[in-house]
Amino acid sequence: MFRKTLMAAAALFAMANTASAATEITWWHAMDGALGDVVNHIADDFNKSQSEYKVVPINKGGYEDTMTAGIAAFRAKNQPNIIQIFDAGAATIINAKGAVYPVQDLLEKYGTGFDINDYIPGVRYFYADSKGKMIGMPFNSSTPLLYFNKDALAKAGIQNPPKTWQEFEEMAPKLKAAGYEGFAESHSPWIFFENFMSRHNLQMATANNGYDSTDVKILYNNDDLKNHWKKMKEWKDEGYFGYYGRAWGANQDAFLHQKAAMWLGSSGSFGGLRKSATFDFGTSTLPYWKGVGDAPKSTFIGGASLFAFSGHSDEQNKGVAAFFEFLTKPETQYYWHKETGYVPVTTAAYELAKKDGYYKESPDAEVGIQQLSEEGGKWTKGYRLGFYVQIREVIYNEVDKMMNGEETVDQAFDVIETESNKLLVRFHDTYSN
Amino acid sequence: MYQSKWRSLTNHIILILGSLFMIMPVWIAFASSTHTREFLFQNGLQFMPGGHFFDNYGKILFDQSATKGRVTALQMLFNSMVLGLGFAIGKVIISMMAAYAIVYFRFRLAMPLFWVIFATLLLPLEVRIVPSYEVVAKLGLLNSYTGLILPLIASATGTFFFRQFYRSVPDELLEAARLDGAGPWRFFIDILVPLSVTMIAAIFIIMFVVGWNQYLWPLLMTTDDQLYTIVIGIKQVYNSLYEGGQIPQFPKAFALTIMASIPPVLVVVIFQRMFIRGLVETEK
Amino acid sequence: MKRVQFGHSPVPYLFVAPQIIIIAIFFLWPAAQAVHQSFLLEDAFGMSSQFVWFRNFNDVLSSPSWLKSAGFTVVFSSLVAVLSIAISLFLAVRADEVIRGAKVYKTLLMWGYAVAPPVAGLLGIMLFNPLMGDLYILFNKMGLDFNHIQNGNDATFVVVLIAVWKQVSVNFIFFLSGLQGIPKSVTEAATLDCKSAGRRFWTITFPLLAPTTFFLMVINLTYAFFETFGIIDVSTKGAPGGSTATLVYKVYVDGFLGADMGGSSAQSVLLMIMVSVLTVFQFRFIERKIHY
Repeated sequence: MFRKTLMAAAALFAMANTASAATEITWWHAMDGALGDVVNHIADDFNKSQSEYKVVPINKGGYEDTMTAGIAAFRAKNQPNIIQIFDAGAATIINAKGAVYPVQDLLEKYGTGFDINDYIPGVRYFYADSKGKMIGMPFNSSTPLLYFNKDALAKAGIQNPPKTWQEFEEMAPKLKAAGYEGFAESHSPWIFFENFMSRHNLQMATANNGYDSTDVKILYNNDDLKNHWKKMKEWKDEGYFGYYGRAWGANQDAFLHQKAAMWLGSSGSFGGLRKSATFDFGTSTLPYWKGVGDAPKSTFIGGASLFAFSGHSDEQNKGVAAFFEFLTKPETQYYWHKETGYVPVTTAAYELAKKDGYYKESPDAEVGIQQLSEEGGKWTKGYRLGFYVQIREVIYNEVDKMMNGEETVDQAFDVIETESNKLLVRFHDTYSN
Repeated sequence: MYQSKWRSLTNHIILILGSLFMIMPVWIAFASSTHTREFLFQNGLQFMPGGHFFDNYGKILFDQSATKGRVTALQMLFNSMVLGLGFAIGKVIISMMAAYAIVYFRFRLAMPLFWVIFATLLLPLEVRIVPSYEVVAKLGLLNSYTGLILPLIASATGTFFFRQFYRSVPDELLEAARLDGAGPWRFFIDILVPLSVTMIAAIFIIMFVVGWNQYLWPLLMTTDDQLYTIVIGIKQVYNSLYEGGQIPQFPKAFALTIMASIPPVLVVVIFQRMFIRGLVETEK
Repeated sequence: MKRVQFGHSPVPYLFVAPQIIIIAIFFLWPAAQAVHQSFLLEDAFGMSSQFVWFRNFNDVLSSPSWLKSAGFTVVFSSLVAVLSIAISLFLAVRADEVIRGAKVYKTLLMWGYAVAPPVAGLLGIMLFNPLMGDLYILFNKMGLDFNHIQNGNDATFVVVLIAVWKQVSVNFIFFLSGLQGIPKSVTEAATLDCKSAGRRFWTITFPLLAPTTFFLMVINLTYAFFETFGIIDVSTKGAPGGSTATLVYKVYVDGFLGADMGGSSAQSVLLMIMVSVLTVFQFRFIERKIHY
């Protein structure tokens, strides 16, 4: 009986797979909840727009889970056609020579051509190799933003959100008096390490931020960044900064619960927050220290990009190219931007959004893309560091220790430097031959 | 037996406290699963059930978009059932046979094979999971129930259970059977298997629960959400990416938690006597 | 081994074949690969690899975070084992004494066995959610200044509590059957001899339960080593500062999430050695007990 049930189930699966005549393109991604719905919607639209290919999006968990699954699948020669890889994992996949079909080559060979200048400046080179060839296609590009509770600021008698940290220091006591923590933040490595460097145009790593070679040293152990974290610790002890650990959600919840008056999060959170916040909020650019580096410069493009795995048939690669072209169409990008808050990656899509009057209707939605379009500097193009997932892990751990006083800021940064460099050496030894 | 009133009273108080310690978290999870996420988010966890039982459970059981991906909780429950049953059945059959060979036969490779089987106890699946994945993929078994179940069976716990049990079976039985002219096959089917029925049931129950509760392996090896088990579903719903900026799906996560726990708990409670016997006798 | 056995024939090979084949394919093959990989530096996608002798082991053993995790694993496992054994022994002794409602108590205390570790982890961590968790709020109302998100000891408390909660049932079942296996005559004699329940327990009951306790110690240590992965993964994820990361969790983070194949294989091999020691220990003990 049980056997029969099993076989019936298996037969059903087999049927479902053979019923469609179109070439199937599998797409593993890390977008869930409302974001996943939008992804499914886009795939459905593509599938309806033509009959040759069928894109099947599959959620594989979070960013890390998705990358892990992709790696395991590739090693087992069972890789999907498209995989979404997040910023910190880019070095791993790009340095594995031959694992992916560079998107630029793919579109030139199977699509209708490729022009890197179609993309907005901030995203052009983040997922490119050292020669400027685009390897992964920017997909959900986000940037850290400041969200502020308008009621809270009004209660404290503050007109505008802080542009600089100096301004924040002045208003923090007022917010405290009004019963709020100044701010909370989700994702310390992303916001206050990587983007701190970019915002102030500071070099993050040797070898051109890691783009030129895997033989690279991290440059986090510098006074500008350390001074910032000394301030963070001071603010935390004063009650100006609320630290809710490394979990993204716990810090965001503090903002939604109106414990923290401001929150540093992702531009990709905009769509969801609009539905879940019970108060009026606005967005602003990531604050910077006036006089440090040559701030303000544009932030790094965060989020993730789509890579086409190698080892698939021409037929399937053609389908991938067709889907990538569909994704970068201004209409698709605009829809994605509007529904999620991720920035549009092509200038044409940005123009379309402007023309459509979207930013007149909700000006806050434009802050992210404006921040990415701010003047760039030598060190704002991006970074390419191996084992960066583990380096972030080191940073998370050390931030915990700085905040609970287990270590001083200086000690923590020494650890970050030595541990990160050890990992980078391992990566270099692994990938350089 | 002499027992003071006072002692008896404290016994009850202590046991009631112990029971509450066990039950409270699950009760809170259940009560909280019957509220809307907005309510829960604003008011914290709940002790009293709210009015959204049918709404929340119905959605998660039957509506694909309520969970992550494109799979309903009903499908996930089915998958867990297949995993639990397949694991238990496979393990019982295979380990009964292997234990029979080891205990009742003299053969040259007995010792080496015994050590090979023993070795599987040394290395839980958790520490060899990436190579296991590669092997399963090479055999083309990804996204199949077979690929989900077989690698889990490759541990010898069941074999040891039956080995212990067979060794406690009196030698006279085999002697008598041989006098009657019974061969190895007949002895196994006609005598040993009927004798092991309670043992089989007991191990079956334990293995069903173990299989149902598997976590890391199904998490990594199912690339098709149609094969998600309910325990994986919990992680998927709970770990939803906050970058989306939404209020967390706590009621749904709780509802999944409750649904994931009901079948194995029921099995253990209903077949309590057999289960306890199996657990205690085999592991000794 | 049995005194009476079947003689030489091909039959036993047929009977062990299914088990051995499955073990060969799904255990020996991957395990050998894990050992092999622990000597390689290989990129995540398997495009290139080189043999590096003990480099990976060296890197692992000199990593402060791995050593910290090893230390935590030992502390965590001991705490979980000792606490869950103590609590369940206490409950079992009481449950053995009651007459009215004995069955109900037994059922209420044993079902936890069937709960999956990640489920326990989720229940636990929700109760400690800083904004909505009842226990978190209660502890802080009591003036404990409890903060598991920043304080490593508090976080350890949370994961230990969850792991103990999940494990009490199994131990309870074993202790209760152990207690019920003590002959009535012994308990009655004991009651006559010493009136104090406490003394009776320590001088008579506990020594009789010693083999069970010892056995449970091993079982609980193994549980705390491996099966708590699901708990850690949905509750603290090793935070704060890596102070609640068990070794298995670290293999997962470095190897799978971090895509360091050689490093994680080396960690796996080290773990394998530790488990082997534990298992041999356990096995020897079980073997000896058979002769009772």
